[in-house]
Amino acid sequence: MPVAERSRRLVVLVWLVAVIAAWELGAFLLADVFHDAMAASKLPFLHDIAATIAKNWPSLLEAAGVTFSKAAIGFGLGALFGYLLAVLMSVSRIAESIAFPYLIVSQMIPVLGLAPIIFTLVRDMNASRIVIAAYITFFPVAASTLSGFKSVDEEKRQLMRSYAATMPVLYLKLLVPFSVPYLFAGLKIAAPLSVTASILVDMLGSKNGIGVKLLYALYGGAKDIFWASVLTSAAMGVFSYLFIAQAEKVLVPWRKSLPSSAGGQSA
Amino acid sequence: MGKVPDRLKKFLWPAVFGLGFLLAWQLGGFHALLGFKPFQLPVPTEIVRTLAENMPKALGDCFVTVSGAIAGMLIGSSIGFAVAALATAFPAWGYGGLIVLSAFNAVPIVALSPIMNRWFPTGMGQKIGVVTVVTMAAMAINAYRGLSDLKPFSLDLMRSYAARKRTVFFSLRLPNCLPSVFTALKINITSAMIAAIVSEYFASSTSGLGFGIKDNLRKAEMAMGWAYITIASVAGIALFLVIAAIERRAIRWHPSQR
Amino acid sequence: MLINTPMFTATPVFDTAPEIEVKNVSMVYENSVGKEVDALTDVSIDIKKGEFVSLLGPSGCGKTTLLRIIADLLEPTSGSVRIAGRTPREARLKQKYGIVFQSPVLYDWRTIRNNVRLPLEMMKVAKEEQEKRVDKQLDLVGLGKFAGNYPYQLSGGMQQRVGIARALAIKPEFLLMDEPFSALDEFTREKLNEDLLRIWAKTGKTVVFVTHNISEAVFLSDRVFVLSPHPGRLSAIIDIDLPRPRSQETRESPEFFSLVSGIRKSFEGVYARRGKE
Repeated sequence: MPVAERSRRLVVLVWLVAVIAAWELGAFLLADVFHDAMAASKLPFLHDIAATIAKNWPSLLEAAGVTFSKAAIGFGLGALFGYLLAVLMSVSRIAESIAFPYLIVSQMIPVLGLAPIIFTLVRDMNASRIVIAAYITFFPVAASTLSGFKSVDEEKRQLMRSYAATMPVLYLKLLVPFSVPYLFAGLKIAAPLSVTASILVDMLGSKNGIGVKLLYALYGGAKDIFWASVLTSAAMGVFSYLFIAQAEKVLVPWRKSLPSSAGGQSA
Repeated sequence: MGKVPDRLKKFLWPAVFGLGFLLAWQLGGFHALLGFKPFQLPVPTEIVRTLAENMPKALGDCFVTVSGAIAGMLIGSSIGFAVAALATAFPAWGYGGLIVLSAFNAVPIVALSPIMNRWFPTGMGQKIGVVTVVTMAAMAINAYRGLSDLKPFSLDLMRSYAARKRTVFFSLRLPNCLPSVFTALKINITSAMIAAIVSEYFASSTSGLGFGIKDNLRKAEMAMGWAYITIASVAGIALFLVIAAIERRAIRWHPSQR
Repeated sequence: MLINTPMFTATPVFDTAPEIEVKNVSMVYENSVGKEVDALTDVSIDIKKGEFVSLLGPSGCGKTTLLRIIADLLEPTSGSVRIAGRTPREARLKQKYGIVFQSPVLYDWRTIRNNVRLPLEMMKVAKEEQEKRVDKQLDLVGLGKFAGNYPYQLSGGMQQRVGIARALAIKPEFLLMDEPFSALDEFTREKLNEDLLRIWAKTGKTVVFVTHNISEAVFLSDRVFVLSPHPGRLSAIIDIDLPRPRSQETRESPEFFSLVSGIRKSFEGVYARRGKE
């Protein structure tokens, strides 16, 4: 219903304005009412941050680009391998029984904690970013896709059997299209995580990337750049999520997206 | 494997695979494959040995991290639940609240940590701050789904009893949302551990698993670093299993528990 | 088409004042694509105390809408409904009716006993009285043994019986049932029809039963209100003069067949018209 859609947008807009207002109010209270010395770095005025971004946006954009592009490559690779693993697990029960416990366990290993270790192993900045982003994407994608394959109801499979469909045909015409929404649920979880992972690697001693800016700002004292970098990274995370959501709308026009439980497994 | 019962097979295959993996690692398979030196990638036995030698310190650090993670998770989940409850009570406007929380979720943990460093003086405070922000959204979204996704005709039935909104909330929505709440808790415990560890990297803490990893890597003590990761994983898994066990008792009636 | 045959039943003579009076009720609403739908047009019905009536018709004829209006789950666009002199809202607030929906709507997390107890808890009935009523109703529907089980352990038909027990637990003046057996298989449905009549004979409540199944309507009711769609309206009132108590034999009697086919024929006109639209 167009009416509901419009009123939803209105609500989001109002909330956005409310949040911005609250932020400015908070910054104001901190700086001018409580005279907090650290006010500028705790919660600076949004318009100040905006000014900094406007002033520095070429370098911010470039840094974001470096981080983001490597995250995207890692994301793509991880998604590809995750998908293939899911197919393998769906075809072979042995593969499934081997991999399934490790899939579950892997979602509990603090992957971001692994990042420095992987970095010391791989040494190269760019390669590290890609490897970690791929690792972080691999498991949610494999788990969600497998969940999608398993959710195909028996009747649909039996229909395919009645058509004497071979295995490749079964996958191409039924399981793959059916599981696309599930795949996207996994991608939506993994996308912001890949960005985070890439930023983390930045901070471990890279020369460029948004994480480096964050780090310099932290220890170098260029306070305004700090918040500008924070907002830029937040924007990257949100952007990656929205990009996937949009891609889903295009590639999956036949149903509403799965309710995504933000974070790991789909219940 | 004809005579082996199915359930045993489910354990056997992954166990065999896992052992094979560890064996290959121990005997230098990965080192040869990827060109690593032993000091870069310690073998499993060495990791275990190092861990055993430093168990007291490792456990102490583990406790610090875990307590921060749990505290932050409880606070964040409570806030998330409160927002979900408000969104259910005021459906038109509450939706925006959920969006705001989801936006918080998009801020990378690595950026949250320095912010919290400014807000709180102690390492523990910073850790709890980061974990809180990270865990709010998952609980809010899942709780909201649990509170509002009711069986068809449930609300009609309540209306036929002329039930007040409060009664409907406590007798219908609340029990209905328990399964979703547990899903969120399981997700959150994992995120909480990760967030706590990452926060310790950047915080002014001098203890905790994150600090330990950072410190040991800095001192090129790879084995300790890996040992710490191992402990962190074991702790994460243990906490997850605790929540799963509580879930089993609390929602015995749910399809997922049969 | 109105069949005016004298009523002849085994139950006592009815109280002449109607229990439920529906007067010129119309319901118009906007559907999801903005079109106006005439769900009900100028429907008037009188239901006597202790009667078992069915609202029968194909989908879109407004039978569920009418039931919901009586239950005060919907407000009509125009017209009025009076229940023993009160408005539907008053009846609802005073818990005068029990309602059974198409699906049992049991709480997964409560045992059968606690599910039946639910409305009594909300009405703040005393604990002892709660236990008494729960036991009584569960025995009445034949599920006393399952009081400690959870809904998932019962079949669909059994769950519906629990729904009926729950509706009766509040000692309502009348019962509203919205296609309660339509999701069940034929065998279960016929058995539950007989159970329902047995329960009705014991309790003597007024029942308004919605269904799209002609045999079911004829088997259960004293009178059948036939509704047709597009626009939703009352097209016939059929008196069912089959003797009570009714059983499987009733279903095989020639009178039963002629009633069912009579009603069915009246719909052929409807379908022919629909075909031309």
